[in-house]
Amino acid sequence: MDETVAEYIRRTVLKIPRDEIKSMLQKWGFLSEAELQTINFHQIKDNISQEVVQLCEENSADIKQAAVLDIIYNHIYPNKRMWSVYQMKKTGEEPEIFDFQSFKKKFKRRLLSALENVTINFREYEDNAIWIRIAWGTPYTKPNQYKPSYVVYHSQTPYVFISASVLKSNMPLLCQALVIASSYHDIQEMELRSRSLNSLKDIVFKRYNQNFKTYCPRPPQERNAEPESADLRIIHENRSEKERIERVTWEIFGDGPQPQLEFAQYKLETMFKSDPKMEVLDKKEPFRCLVKFSSPHLLESLRSLAPAGLADAPLSPLLTCITQKARNNFKIKEKRGFFPGSFVSP
Amino acid sequence: MEEGRACTWEGVFTHLERLEAQAHEAGRKQEEKEQQEEKLARLKERVEELRTQRDKLQAKVDLQQKGQTGRKGIIESGTTEPSAGAVLEWKIRRLQGMLQAFYLTGISAKLTKRGVCFSISTAYEGTYLDSYYLDLLIRPEVQIHHHSVPIFIPLEQITKRYLKTDIRRCLSVLSDHLNAYARRKYQADQLQEHFSDQLEGTLQRNSLCNLLVFNYKVPGEGKTFPFNARLIYRDLCCSLPTEAVVSCTEKAPESLQETAAAHSELFRHLALHKAFCSFSRAEEREDGAP
Repeated sequence: MDETVAEYIRRTVLKIPRDEIKSMLQKWGFLSEAELQTINFHQIKDNISQEVVQLCEENSADIKQAAVLDIIYNHIYPNKRMWSVYQMKKTGEEPEIFDFQSFKKKFKRRLLSALENVTINFREYEDNAIWIRIAWGTPYTKPNQYKPSYVVYHSQTPYVFISASVLKSNMPLLCQALVIASSYHDIQEMELRSRSLNSLKDIVFKRYNQNFKTYCPRPPQERNAEPESADLRIIHENRSEKERIERVTWEIFGDGPQPQLEFAQYKLETMFKSDPKMEVLDKKEPFRCLVKFSSPHLLESLRSLAPAGLADAPLSPLLTCITQKARNNFKIKEKRGFFPGSFVSP
Repeated sequence: MEEGRACTWEGVFTHLERLEAQAHEAGRKQEEKEQQEEKLARLKERVEELRTQRDKLQAKVDLQQKGQTGRKGIIESGTTEPSAGAVLEWKIRRLQGMLQAFYLTGISAKLTKRGVCFSISTAYEGTYLDSYYLDLLIRPEVQIHHHSVPIFIPLEQITKRYLKTDIRRCLSVLSDHLNAYARRKYQADQLQEHFSDQLEGTLQRNSLCNLLVFNYKVPGEGKTFPFNARLIYRDLCCSLPTEAVVSCTEKAPESLQETAAAHSELFRHLALHKAFCSFSRAEEREDGAP
């Protein structure tokens, strides 16, 4: 077995938390159950990884099999990477019969014809997600296994989730291969990025709990049956205002958990509106500034702003349109013409 | 006078006694009078109270009677009149029943501030599956505000063709697509859930569930999975495959080839899980028949 493969397997095993190593090796399926029994999973990780490498040597693992272990690790811990969303466009209305085998063939063919030194792995999961791992090399060097790109694609959808490696120069090639393999026409990056892959999927596939006005869901008054008889000595002064805020928040955000985003960024190119007497800027130029909201869970924190009394309800539509417009990167320009105020550019 | 003077001393005391008695009597009478006055005042108060209560109740009765003349034929003699609360409950139940009836038709709607929100529910033979929503704006022109239709359903195509011209047709077509998808998904899920012992590994499918590939066997055939089935559903509004290719390995005997052809025909006409049910029943019949 190659030195590099051994080193790669060792480093991959070291990344895995100790309690998970056994189950991940089982999922990998490269080492048999009997061989796994011989490893002591209670020693320090260094020793565990040495034993694993030893067993892989005996079984002559190659880089493709080692890469599968990497895919499994990233599938279980996708939050360690930053994911961006790309949208593909197609013309024509033929019904799609998506065939995984032909997708794989076309994808590999496109990449390998352009670049010989790539390692490509595919893995299909139960929720129709196809994970693709690509390690890039150059015509003169072998693929760099430590900086792979990951692509997650759900068949028959126009969305692709890409976690690019640092080597951005391979993006055009990757995009082209995806478009060809999935029989689309064009691909474009959306302004949506996050570490939480599942939340990105929820937003673009509209799987989060949107608020639809139908007769079926229960109204909020029934939900919030707080024990009012808790203490009769406590009088809520702003009860009606509080209820209004709750109702407005429920109308905007609905029930249920929000998708997890880490930030929302607004690039402002609007004119500074000040008292004309102050003359802060004598030249009428757009005041450029960047506003970034960061949070471990941005949308939940936005939802709790108004009930906590930190903001007025309803919140600004620029904040509440994030999930619906599926973007967290906005450019706000001055609107000339019909409406005063600013508008969001596409 | 002598007697008077002779009785003076006794007379004075008696006189005093008499006066005392008189005073006592007067005081007692005074007290009595005061008590009676107090009592009278109290009773007067009570009378006032009762009068106001009577007025209130009278007003209530009048109101109810006026309300009742609006409704026809609800009250029977002998039963107490239903309270406003009971009538309201009855109205609510009736409305809920109507809404439930609409929901059962598959497409229902609710007016919103700026348009209409349609909900399309999917079902397969008595089992209710997911519901999908389409929130439309009416002004300036009919357009989609937001929706919960899965991304692989060709919503854009359907709405581009029909939304502005014929909403009914648009909803009907969308409902067909969604129902067909839900039914295909249901069949595939049922197959995996109930017949997993006859399948080799997992079922290979795609998001729209319109291509299914799996290796399977007929029950009781031993441990190999001789058949490979490839079902293609080209018609997205249909829950039965347009093409069903069942093949065996080349070395398989003649009987298996025939069975494969028969299965191919079966899959095109019968829902997937029902087809597998029929295999089990055929097996039982063979076992049972002498």
